[in-house]
Amino acid sequence: MADLTKDEVRSLGKAAGLDLQEPHLTEVTYNINALKELLDDLNPPGLDEVEPLPIIHPYQQIRQ
Amino acid sequence: MNTADIPFLTAAALGRLIQRQEVSPVEAVEAYLERIYSVDRKLNSYITVCRNHALAAARQAEEEIAAGEHRGPLHGVPVAVKDQFNTAGILTTGGSKVLATNVPDHDATVITNLRNAGAILLGKLNMSEFATGNSIYHHWGTPRNPWDRSRNPGTSSSGSGAATAAFLCATSLGEDTGGSIRNPANNCGLVGLRPTWGLVSRHGMLGASWSNDIGGPISRTAEDCALTLQAIAGPDPNDPYTAHAPTPDYQAELNGDIKGLRVGVVREGLYADFVQPQVRDTVSRAIGTLESLGASIDEVSIPLLPYTAAINRIHIEVEAAPSHREWLANQPQNYDHNVRTDFLTGCVVPGQLYYKALKLRELIRQQVFEALDKVDVLALPNTSEPAPLINDKPGIFSQEEATARMSGRRSLTGSFNLASVPALAVHCGFVSAEGSPKLPTALQLAGRPFSDGTLLRVAHNFQKATPWHIQRPPI
Repeated sequence: MADLTKDEVRSLGKAAGLDLQEPHLTEVTYNINALKELLDDLNPPGLDEVEPLPIIHPYQQIRQ
Repeated sequence: MNTADIPFLTAAALGRLIQRQEVSPVEAVEAYLERIYSVDRKLNSYITVCRNHALAAARQAEEEIAAGEHRGPLHGVPVAVKDQFNTAGILTTGGSKVLATNVPDHDATVITNLRNAGAILLGKLNMSEFATGNSIYHHWGTPRNPWDRSRNPGTSSSGSGAATAAFLCATSLGEDTGGSIRNPANNCGLVGLRPTWGLVSRHGMLGASWSNDIGGPISRTAEDCALTLQAIAGPDPNDPYTAHAPTPDYQAELNGDIKGLRVGVVREGLYADFVQPQVRDTVSRAIGTLESLGASIDEVSIPLLPYTAAINRIHIEVEAAPSHREWLANQPQNYDHNVRTDFLTGCVVPGQLYYKALKLRELIRQQVFEALDKVDVLALPNTSEPAPLINDKPGIFSQEEATARMSGRRSLTGSFNLASVPALAVHCGFVSAEGSPKLPTALQLAGRPFSDGTLLRVAHNFQKATPWHIQRPPI
C-alpha cells in the first residue's frame, strides 16, 4: 500500500482537531508510514482467526 | 554502625536494624539525605527531595517502633518513587514542564500503601517525559547512569534506576509500559519487577497507556523487590481493574530452591541477530547458573517477539494521545520535541492500523501463553545491548530512521506488557562498550499471571549464587 503523504497526514490531524506544523508534520508522517510498513508486512498464521480481545483476562480462573 | 554506611544496606537489612532499634529511622533518613546532597548533582535522579516531610515521618516511625507498634519490614525505611505517582501536597510532574507546578491533593494508592507499610518517602524521581521513553529534554536535568555518566540509566523510570543503584534510596518504585522498570534495572545493575497487570493499583498514577501501565519495584535485591511489592500490591476499589484476590506473602515465596523448575529459553530472544554477542554470552551463563541450581532448561518459541516494538508503539501512542490532545493544542512548546511527535502520531494513527495491532496483540498473548504451557518461567536477555550513550539529538530525519526506531531493541520486553504477564530483570553480569569497560546487563524472566512470587524466588536464588548484586558503581 502506498505511503501516506504529508497532506494526507495533515488532514488526519485536522480530523483530530490538531493543526500539524513542521517539523512535526514530517516526523509524524515518517512515524505513520513506518508503522504502516511494519504492520503491512506482518501477516502471521492465525491473524485472520483471532479477534482483537480486550486485555482483561479472567484472572481468578487463571489463578486457580 | 557508622551513619554513612546506612545507605549501603539492603532495604531488608535496614528494616531489621530499625525493628531492633539499632538504627533509628531518623538516622536512616539523615544518612540518605546527606548522600543525595553529595552525589545526586552528578546524576539528576531526583526531581523533588522531601526533606522536611521525610524527617517528620521518620520521627513518627521512631516513636511508633519505640512504642512497640512495628508495622512491618519497610517501617522506617526510606524509599523514593518515580514522579509519575501522585503525592498529596508534593510536586508531581510526570517529568514534564507541562505539569511543572502540579501539586495533587491526593496520594496514589501505591503511595498510600507505602505509607501504611511505614515506609518513609524521601522524594520523587526523575523520568522520561510522561513515561514515553523517547524524551531528550529533561526539564529537571538529564538523568545519568551511575556506572557511566555518559550513558542512559534506562527509560522511562530513569531516576528510579539511577537513585537505587547509587544508594540514594533503599528501594524505589518505577512504572513499566513497554519495559520502563526492567530497562533501568538492566542498565543500572538492579532487580526490577513489572508485576502482573491488575496486581497493583493504577489509581493516582499519571497514565501512559492504560492497558500496558503498571507500577512496580526497582531494588538492589530480589528480597527488597519482594518487600516493596508486598507493600503496594492488592485490590483497590479506586482501580476497578485490580484483581480481587488475596495478596500472597512474597517474602515467604522467596524461600525454597528452584530444583525442578522448568525454564524455557525464548529462542527469538536469546538468539536474535540484534542481540550483541557479549549480552547473549552473559545471559547464557546466567541460564547455566539456573541449571546448576536444579532448574531444567528447554527451548520455547514466541515467533512474534521480534516484531513487538511496532505493535507496542501503536498501543502506547494511541492510548496516551487522548490525555494530551488538549495540552498539545494549547501548550505544545512545553513538550520535549520527540514526545510531542510521538503523541501527535498517536492522535492520527489510522483506525485500521490500530485494529490490526489489536489482533496482533492477541496473537502475541496466545504465543506467550502457549510457551508458558510448557514451562514455569521464560528466560531471555532484557535488552540487546548495554546502556546506550545519552542521546542529545532530537528529531527524526528519515523514513528509515523512523522504521528503525520502531523495531529491534525494545522488542525484548514489550511482549510481556502486551500479554499482561509479570516480567523481571535481574542483573546477571557485565559487558563492555566503547569507552565503558563495565556496564551491567540483565537476565529477563517472565511467567504466568500472578506468578510474580515465582519470578522473585528465581531471582533470589540466582542472587544467592552469584556476586553481581554486591558490586557498586563508581560514583
